[in-house]
Order: sequence, then structure tokens, then C-alpha cells
Amino acid sequence: MSLVLSLIRNEFEKTWRSRWIVFAVLGGLFLLIAGGLYIYYVHLENRWTPQAPVAWQTQLRDQIRANQQEVVNLEQVKQQSQGGGTVRVGGRGGGDLTLDQAIAQAKQAISDDQYLIDHDIAPVQSFAIAQAALFALGGIVMFLLVRIFGWLASEQIAGERSDRTITILLSRPPSRNQVLFAKTIASFLISLVVVLLTLLIVFAMFAFWFGSPGSLTDQAGVAIDGAKPLGPGNLLQMPVWLFVLMLIGAAMLGVLCVQGMSLLISVLTGRWAAIGTTLALLFGAPLVSAVVAGILFLISGSQDSSHFLTYLFFNVLAPVGSVAPALGNTIAVAGSGINQFVTEVETLAIWTLGFFLAAFLLFRRRQEAG
Amino acid sequence: MPALVEVERLTKSFGRVRALSEVSFSVEEGEVLGFLGPNGAGKTTTIRILLGLLHGDGGTAKIGGHDCWTDHARASRFFGATLEQPGFYGFLSGRDNLRQFARMLGRVDEKQITDLLDLVGMTERADDKVKGYSMGMRQRLALAQALLGKPRLLVLDEPTNGLDPNGIHGLRILLRNLATDQGLTIFFSSHLLSEVEELCDRVVVLHRGEVKASGPLSELMNVKGFRYRIDVSDVEKALPIVRAVDGARAEPGTIKDSINVTADHDLARQINHALVSAGVGVDQLVRTEQGLEDVYIQLTGVPVDSPLSSPAAPQ
Repeated sequence: MSLVLSLIRNEFEKTWRSRWIVFAVLGGLFLLIAGGLYIYYVHLENRWTPQAPVAWQTQLRDQIRANQQEVVNLEQVKQQSQGGGTVRVGGRGGGDLTLDQAIAQAKQAISDDQYLIDHDIAPVQSFAIAQAALFALGGIVMFLLVRIFGWLASEQIAGERSDRTITILLSRPPSRNQVLFAKTIASFLISLVVVLLTLLIVFAMFAFWFGSPGSLTDQAGVAIDGAKPLGPGNLLQMPVWLFVLMLIGAAMLGVLCVQGMSLLISVLTGRWAAIGTTLALLFGAPLVSAVVAGILFLISGSQDSSHFLTYLFFNVLAPVGSVAPALGNTIAVAGSGINQFVTEVETLAIWTLGFFLAAFLLFRRRQEAG
Repeated sequence: MPALVEVERLTKSFGRVRALSEVSFSVEEGEVLGFLGPNGAGKTTTIRILLGLLHGDGGTAKIGGHDCWTDHARASRFFGATLEQPGFYGFLSGRDNLRQFARMLGRVDEKQITDLLDLVGMTERADDKVKGYSMGMRQRLALAQALLGKPRLLVLDEPTNGLDPNGIHGLRILLRNLATDQGLTIFFSSHLLSEVEELCDRVVVLHRGEVKASGPLSELMNVKGFRYRIDVSDVEKALPIVRAVDGARAEPGTIKDSINVTADHDLARQINHALVSAGVGVDQLVRTEQGLEDVYIQLTGVPVDSPLSSPAAPQ
């Protein structure tokens, strides 16, 4: 065990001493973005300090009033058009709705909101930390971080091979399993620290925007099946901290999956081939997915027809993304909700396990002919 | 007492190329064994198998009684090693590199690291980044790395590569001291015959993946017959005359107007008589000592560093 700990320490030292510039650039970028957003806020709100926080119940009551007004407006339109006509709604599951459907949806939203108020369950997006988790762990920041982690992991063995240090590494007493295990743990822990720091920075920004860091112990609600209206029987209630932990877990599983794939490539090739292959897969696959999704959308006219693509592991942020449209009282969308989240996590876990298993098996048998 | 290194009928192929063919030898505790052979003979392949980087297709390779592939963790406790063109983390200092490798042995002994850096003459540059080191400095650091953890066996693959003459001389003295003072067993490959001749108790000569000879250096050099240098008036005329003498092998010498002759038994008088009878002037005929180079050429049929010594397998 102490040998493995020593190896992990070696990996920390090597990563930090050889790649500190990457982390410094990342830190600098975050500072620049935070600074830019703050300036934008000052310009937009004409104030230097955060605005006073608004209780989520107040927000929901405002929303109920807005939806009641919407129902009234739609009823008027319906009377004027003698019952016919359609309205266009936005969102992922958006499209043309008949007036009756639109009225039913607005009434459902009113009833959902009232249910949440009556049972003291907040929509998840009421909390700065939950919004930060969704943005930091399922958005553009994580998209880039995952690729950086993939690049670093792809060098783990391939870099040693190119530097010819692999001969020392493998001729010393630690077994190949121990070497690979230490590298896996070290790269995962490094990525975890970076992800948590990112989350904290984004949380600080959202807390400022919300005017309060918010509570971690309040109850939050997420739809179980995003395709059905929120309400009794279709609502998972959990403390905010658990929801955030769930998203961190899903995001880190995505990171681990990419690291497993990169490590497998690293076991098989030299440094530049490993980096090139890894980045080509990580950037290329979403591109291919997007093109396929576009073609499917053109054929079927529905975006839901392509959501099976998220099961291709490359959309490693899919689990986090799948709960994003299923928050509290948002519009019902297929391919979202806690059930979808669980399915995607399972898929991701299988891919991850497969990658690591293959990497360990191949590394054990791999001959280093120089 | 069993040998520290035991290699028995070891075979290894890379695709259709046979790199090692039933190679057998052993290294006894406390001896210095030279591993000789032209490029592509299979020296590095053998060493890589001993280090656990490759496994043989057949036969066994054991260190300290432990199989080098299946029981690598135990076998590796016995040795420290350097391979040709040693690799280090360029972004770390020499000292930090040694710390890294010491952790793989379980613990970092700062005093030992300082002593080793001193031993290989790297104290002054120890805290500089390795990417600024010359090849010779890397070789010296590699030796320090191999000595970490006080191994019983030192496995060195072409350790003098990149060293200047002073460096080679220093390394020779260092290895001799390690062997005599600390009783370290040393197994090293080299293409520098003078180095092997001066350092080794025994040699193993490998050629195209086969062991051509092995044994104590003195025996190997004595049993191989006679060698003469003959200074003559006309080399072109003398060569066919000498070659016509039964049992004599002749080639132009490196010294001007001389030929080198080897023979299995003493032919000095017959050669002299044949040359004089044919009208070739003989200024002197000297019996010279048989060197390792001669033995090596006889065994492998390839002059040292000849372009003919083409690789037989990837190394």
C-alpha cells in the first residue's frame, strides 16, 4: 500500500512540475471570465453590489400569476379565433401547440407550482449552488475540462514510453497493475480538485447573482420522468446538497470514462499518437453526433428522435444534461428526468469499466521492445 | 550456491525475425561478466527480458531464483539497471529524478542520493534540470539510479555510450571498485572490447541471437592459437604467399607494410621460409598477444564495428 502511495505522490509531482502552466492558464481564464461577467453585471444592473435575494416562494407566486395571465390571454385568443389556431413554444421539447394544448400546459404549470409551494419543495433552480452545479458540471466549462483531462491522461504511459523512463518504471519492484492504478488514482484526484475548484468559482458567481449563497439543506424537487408533467408521483424530492453531490458524481464519472479511454490509448501508443487520437475522438465524436442528430431532425422533424445519441459515451456530460431540463417546474421534455439520468449513468459506468479493464489487461501483457 | 542470473535456452522472436535462439549463460555472485556481440546480436533483447520489459517465447530467465516475467517484483529487488540511451524526466532535476525512482523502491534515503550523486561526479549539476544534461551526464545519472537501494546486481547496457575518454576511464575505475570493494555483481554489455578486456572476469559472446562462446577471459584468449605481425617489403605480393601456407590466415595489418597472421599452431618458420623463398623481404616477424578483438572476429566472423555487422533483430 505504501508503495502505491509513493507512486501516487510521484504522479502528483510529475504532473505539477510538467503541467503547472496548464493549471495556471486555466486559473487565469477563470479569473478573466469572472472579471468580465462582473463588469457586465455592473453595466447591466448599474450597481456594484449583489441585489437583495428573492425567496423561491415569491418567485413561484410571480410565476403562477404570470401563468394565470397567460391562460386568460390564451382563452381570449381562443374565443376570437373560434377555437382554432396554434401557438409556438420554446425549449428543447418545443414546437407548435394547439391553443388547447398551450392552455393545458400553462394550467399544469400553475398546478405544479402550487403543489411545490404547498409542500415546501423548491424547484432546483432556486438555489445558487444547484444552478452552479448544472452550469459548471454540464456546460461548456466541463466540456473543455474533460478534454484537458483526456489529454493529460493520454500521456500517462505514452509519455513515459517516449521519454524512455518506462524502462525504469517497469523494471522496478512495483507491478504493472500498481503503476497503472497509481496513475489512474492520481489523475482522477487531480481532475477532482480542478472540478471542485471550478464549481466553487462558478458557485461564488451565482451566489453573487442570486444575492445569497442559499441553503444546502432545503428540499429540492426534480421530475422523475421529464416527459410527464411534474406533480405527485412524478417528483423526486431530495436535499440540495444531495442533488449537487449527485451531479458531481455524474460529472466525475464522465471524467473517469474519458480518462479510461485515454489511458487505454496511452497503453498502446507513443506520446504524440496518443494525444492526437484522444483529442480527435473527444472533439470529433460530438461533431459526428451533432451531424447525425441534425440529419435525424431534418428527417423526423423532432429533436427527441436523436436523443439516443447521448448513449454514445462521448457525450459524457449527458447525465448532468439530462436533469437540467427536468428541474422543478420547467416544460416537460422527453429524454430528461431522474430516470434518464440513471440510465445514462449506467451506460457511462459500463463504458468506463470496459476502458479500464482493457487498459489494465493490455498493459499487463504489453512488451516494451524499445 | 545457485548463480545470481540464470538464463536457460532462452528464445525470442519479433515476428519472423529470430532475435534469440536457445541462449544460455549464468552470472555468478560477485563476478563481472561482459556481454559481447555486434549490433543486432540480441544483447539488448536479452537485457530487456532480464529487466522484465519483454518475455521470452521459450526458455527461462531468472534473477535470484525468481522468474523475470512471472515473478518480476521479487526478481527486481536484486538488481539496478540502465539501458542504452537512459531516459529521465527532463523537467525535474537530477536529484528529483533520483527521488522519484527511490520512491519506487519504497523510501527516499536523502543521504544515499547525495552519496550516489557524489560517486558519479554529479554533485555540482544535481539540482539542474535534466533536459540540460549532456549524454555523458545522463549516463552517470543512470548509473546513480541503478545503484539506488544498494542492489546486489548491476545490469548495464552499453554504459559508456556518450562518455568521453575521461568519462570512460572514470567509469571503468568506478565499476572495478564496486565489484572489488562492495562485491557487486556486474553484468554489462558493450561493444568496446578494451573495456570488457580490462573489466571482466568472464565474457559471453553473442552473435545473431546465439551464444558463440562463454568463459573466463584468459581461457578464451589462450586457446585460440597464434598471432604474428610481419613487416614485409611488398604486402600485395606477401599476402597470397602466406595464405598458401597450410593453416595460416592473413590480412593486411593496420601498420604500414605489415600483415597480420593468425594460425592454430606455430607456423613462424614455414611462413618466413615461404616469403624469403619467393623473394619478399621480411624486415621482422613478431609473435603478438592474441587480443579479445581477435577472438571476437574469429567467433563472429565480423570485424569489430564493421558495417557487415548488420542487425538481425530489432533491439
